[in-house]
Amino acid sequence: MPSSAAAVGAAPLVVGPRVTLTLTAVGAAAVLALWWHSTRAIVGPGGALTTVGEGLGLLSGYAVVIAVLLMARLPPVERGVGADRLARWHSTLGRWLVWGITGHVLCIIWGYALAAHTGLVSETATLLTTYPDVLMATVAWFLLLGVGLTSLRAARRRLRYETWYYLHLYTYLAIALAFSHQFANGAAFVDDAIARFAWEALYIVTAALIVWYRLIVPARDFGRHRFVVAGLRQEANRTVSVYIKGRHLGELGAEPGQFFRWRFLTRGLWWQSHPYSLSALPSDNLLRITVRDVGDPSNMLRSLRPGTRVLAEGPFGAFFPAHPDRASLLVAGGVGITPLRAMMTALTGPVILVYRATSWQDVALRAELDTIAAERGAVVHYVIGSRAELGGDPLTAEALRRVAPGLDAMEAYVCGPPGMTAAVVAALRAAGVPGRRVHVESFEF
Amino acid sequence: MRRVLVAVVFTVAGLVALLSFRTHVNSSERSGASTLRLPPLSPGERALTGHTASTVYGPVQVRVVERARKIVAVDILQHPAETAMDIQIGQYAFPRLVGETLTAQSARIDTVSGATYTSGGYIKSLQSALDNGA
Repeated sequence: MPSSAAAVGAAPLVVGPRVTLTLTAVGAAAVLALWWHSTRAIVGPGGALTTVGEGLGLLSGYAVVIAVLLMARLPPVERGVGADRLARWHSTLGRWLVWGITGHVLCIIWGYALAAHTGLVSETATLLTTYPDVLMATVAWFLLLGVGLTSLRAARRRLRYETWYYLHLYTYLAIALAFSHQFANGAAFVDDAIARFAWEALYIVTAALIVWYRLIVPARDFGRHRFVVAGLRQEANRTVSVYIKGRHLGELGAEPGQFFRWRFLTRGLWWQSHPYSLSALPSDNLLRITVRDVGDPSNMLRSLRPGTRVLAEGPFGAFFPAHPDRASLLVAGGVGITPLRAMMTALTGPVILVYRATSWQDVALRAELDTIAAERGAVVHYVIGSRAELGGDPLTAEALRRVAPGLDAMEAYVCGPPGMTAAVVAALRAAGVPGRRVHVESFEF
Repeated sequence: MRRVLVAVVFTVAGLVALLSFRTHVNSSERSGASTLRLPPLSPGERALTGHTASTVYGPVQVRVVERARKIVAVDILQHPAETAMDIQIGQYAFPRLVGETLTAQSARIDTVSGATYTSGGYIKSLQSALDNGA
């Protein structure tokens, strides 16, 4: 099929972490320049507070766009930075944003009150009732505070993922509500048509990207590829593989190690979407994921029937073989084996796999791992047991060097829960593996 | 599912209420007082209009009303009004500046703190009006 061949042959654009951060910093510098340029005169303590408040407001108005763009599923960034890192950046930025906007509100109220020689309460009332669109923006601030509160660790533990996710959508409403007050009151925009145009363009382009990559592309792929559940297989005691068939899947350009966000269109599951890695090499008409039963969603996957339609978004992730021909060490923690299992058949150089699990019952895909290892001469080490049973952390720098001689010249791929990946990355670096050869993906939930 | 419906209904209702709330910005204030209606002069009074003094926040122009060589009123013809903040500062500063002028009977008055630039523009325009009448 010529169209499919062209799609696969074109090298996908990749924007890495450094470029992403640099572009973001350049934008922030431009915002500060705009702020500096628009600050006409600073009169007294009120003027100083107002100026700081305006700076915080401008930076927050920019940061909120960046926070949204980090989650916009932009393919070059997803591929270059990785969804797990993007999510961490997004959450850090979100925390700063709540503080930044709160600072903006307080500085403006206080600064205006000083300049107008009124009290804080009366100035607040004046701002809410006579300043254009400030009331809407205040509601937006409360919405963001609420979203921030639900994202606190203590709240996250109590909330179901979907509840938290859908509450997060109020951020879009908050951004819309806060949009106009920037132009109606912001000193940077009232008499600067170019700044106003650039700011509006930033928001409009961002909105277009969100609609395109989060709504239109998944819908288009659903129509073109017709993802359908082909069958299920019980793997370990709490792990199940789901086979998904479709058409022209080669066009997606999915690499072993990457994941899709899956939405199974059944009565009980359609409203939730989950990221699961491909656990086998993708073919042109079949994909496989392997899911560990960690709670309600994956539990319900067992009840999936062949023929169920599936909305799949992807492929995502920066976790795929960077140099397939080099010697590679794969370190899996628990269900983190799935992307590494897919990689294993794609790597052409020598492969050593270390599979960490707390019990043998949790080891999934063992038979096929052993078969692949035998066929291609790979080595598989199972490291099974709790830390207490094993007498401490079994994956130290020393231990890794012992199982993988010549480790400092190998590519290392690590996948597992966040604590485990952080420990293994530290051990690899201690063993002398340079950072650029360490590839990580952590499962956030 | 029911909770989602309730949340959506409440959100939409809240939005409608919020958007139907009109913040009342005085439109004549917003336009920088160009449509200001000035009180007519009484017999024996004369009006001296000052130059427009431009400040970083916008133009300031005043008109002095004299009766028997005594300043009896100062009208603000133009004032900075690009933002609601400019208007709020003017609402505080101009009555004080006018009060000082009536007491001092000249343009040798103090600036109002927090409105240094607006005060400067006021004094400049006032001085030019008084010079016109001299």
